[in-house]
Amino acid sequence: MRNSRILGVGHYVPERVVTNEDLAVSMDTSDEWIQQRTGIRERHFSDGSTGAADLGAEAAREALARAGMRAEDMDCIVFATLSPDVDMPASACLFQDHLGIGGMPAFDVRNQCSGFLYGLATADKFVKTGTYDHVLLVGGEIHSTGLDLTTRGREVAVIFGDGAGAVVLGPETDARRGILSTHLHSEGKFADKLWVECPSSRERPRFTEEMIVGDKPRMFPRMEGRYVFRHAVTRFPEVIHEALQANGYTPQDIDLLIPHQANLRISQIVASGLELPEEKVFNNIQRYGNTTAGSIPIALYEALEAGRIHEGDLVCLAAFGAGFTWASALIRW
Amino acid sequence: MSTRILGLGHFLPPEIDIGGARRPIAVDPVGPSTLAVEATRGALAQAQLSAADVDFIVFATMTPDANFPGAGCFFQDQMGCGTVGALDVRAQCAGFIFALSIAEQFVGAGAYERVLVAGAEVHSAGLDYSEGGIQVARLYGDGAGVALIGNAAGSGALRATAIHTDGRRHREFWCEYPSSRQHPTRMTLEDFRAGKHFLTLDVDKVRRFGEELLPAVIHEALAKAQVKVTGIDRFIIGHVLPDVAETVGRQLGVEKARVNVPAERYGHLTAAALPVALSEEVARGSLASGATVCLAACGAGFAWGAAVITL
Repeated sequence: MRNSRILGVGHYVPERVVTNEDLAVSMDTSDEWIQQRTGIRERHFSDGSTGAADLGAEAAREALARAGMRAEDMDCIVFATLSPDVDMPASACLFQDHLGIGGMPAFDVRNQCSGFLYGLATADKFVKTGTYDHVLLVGGEIHSTGLDLTTRGREVAVIFGDGAGAVVLGPETDARRGILSTHLHSEGKFADKLWVECPSSRERPRFTEEMIVGDKPRMFPRMEGRYVFRHAVTRFPEVIHEALQANGYTPQDIDLLIPHQANLRISQIVASGLELPEEKVFNNIQRYGNTTAGSIPIALYEALEAGRIHEGDLVCLAAFGAGFTWASALIRW
Repeated sequence: MSTRILGLGHFLPPEIDIGGARRPIAVDPVGPSTLAVEATRGALAQAQLSAADVDFIVFATMTPDANFPGAGCFFQDQMGCGTVGALDVRAQCAGFIFALSIAEQFVGAGAYERVLVAGAEVHSAGLDYSEGGIQVARLYGDGAGVALIGNAAGSGALRATAIHTDGRRHREFWCEYPSSRQHPTRMTLEDFRAGKHFLTLDVDKVRRFGEELLPAVIHEALAKAQVKVTGIDRFIIGHVLPDVAETVGRQLGVEKARVNVPAERYGHLTAAALPVALSEEVARGSLASGATVCLAACGAGFAWGAAVITL
């Protein structure tokens, strides 16, 4: 059975940079507090009527250009997001509209911080089985319109940023190259440890004024940071080891680890646990914050641009986040 | 060995009257994940397997338990499926066919042996029951259907799937809010009071696209499966307007007895419509092992698809 491989990577973030000092205008926080806990210095926020699919379309144009392909050549579109442009249909549909394409299947993957890797696993399988030759995978988020930017929401609001990344996947006949394996997990028991509860089909009705304007508006994200941190530092190494073992490798074989950019402190703990030196781990959360489904492809793009990935390198992608969900992928570049 | 359906299950809540139509409505405040858990019991029993035998979950819904995480996570927790992956797919009315196609790839690529494909909806929580909205509200119902798929010997097989989307038509059938592209906030009190969180559809266009796209995708799937219209024991057609499914049956030249239109009985169950109808027929014995069925759906997105399956 053939493998899939990444033929091109693209990224896009909105122009407006929001520094920690900028956030401190509307909430009680400080640059020092945010940097110490998360490593984040700044993030990008969108304006106007920009949605996740708009950012995704820009990222995809770049990925397609680098792959030397056109949008209409794609056999399938997979769009990972937790901040869709509209309630229904999927952002993948608006994405098609932006690129002026239609006919090929397009659907959303809603798996939060692990969304890009769930999407990658799905896209990879479509190529492996020969069902499709070229799949365009996008991870795009507009967090800024869903955050409580007052002191009440600061614990979560300081973390997230807007951004998108995209990859074009195509067939690879050499079984030792391309995406070697993907590994996906979930544990819904902890769904309420990092979530946006509402609108919720568990409520009657699913949307109320109280969810928008109550004392604790349930349409804003809520997080129990300690839980997330504790599980992240366990599940990240676990799922990285799972990917390595499945392919007969050890952490020493990794040329570059790109962890989902959730928190710089988490990435550092994971890297040190795996005894990976700094040059073998790519982090850029300092400049983007956590862009959930956008974070891994944006980091992958920057790592390639910075010459941190070479032909033949073993690249490990890993994610952990809301759900809880966690995932990894091992790639022979 | 081929990839096939190992077990089917469905769950429909009790019916109540909605604008003069009997509809299954989940009155208890539970989400689609909970309805899917009920449906899964039947699917696992039929396959003589337990939750521990499930390697992966693909969950299709457009009415999730929470804004995030995905309904699959809530489902995974209630099922007690270890820490298996739970992929949430959004493809609206065609969600089940998309999910089935995705699940088939994971099995076909050897990544997983047994995948639970769930389609579940609680529409009633989000509909407009006012005088102005009741004509749309009465089109929908709540329910869940589940198919467990995996490799097994025998004549049963997922023989072909065909899936498509054309997002250029998305405004003709959509629910715009909450909307991440609305700055500075996705949903204001004014938006809410204006009812922007209710879905709207252009009935004429939705009807026309269904009548045009469904026969085409059914023929595509049949050609892929190398089966003729006459070789299909049952066409199960999911569309928000039941008369579209009937028209499609006529266009295909299929007598009424071979066309199952779940929306006629339950209102539209979107991602749940096809597995509910298939599971019902298997449960009552009107479709037996060896029967070949064609599932097809078309709706918001626009997304549409068809699958040919031998049971």
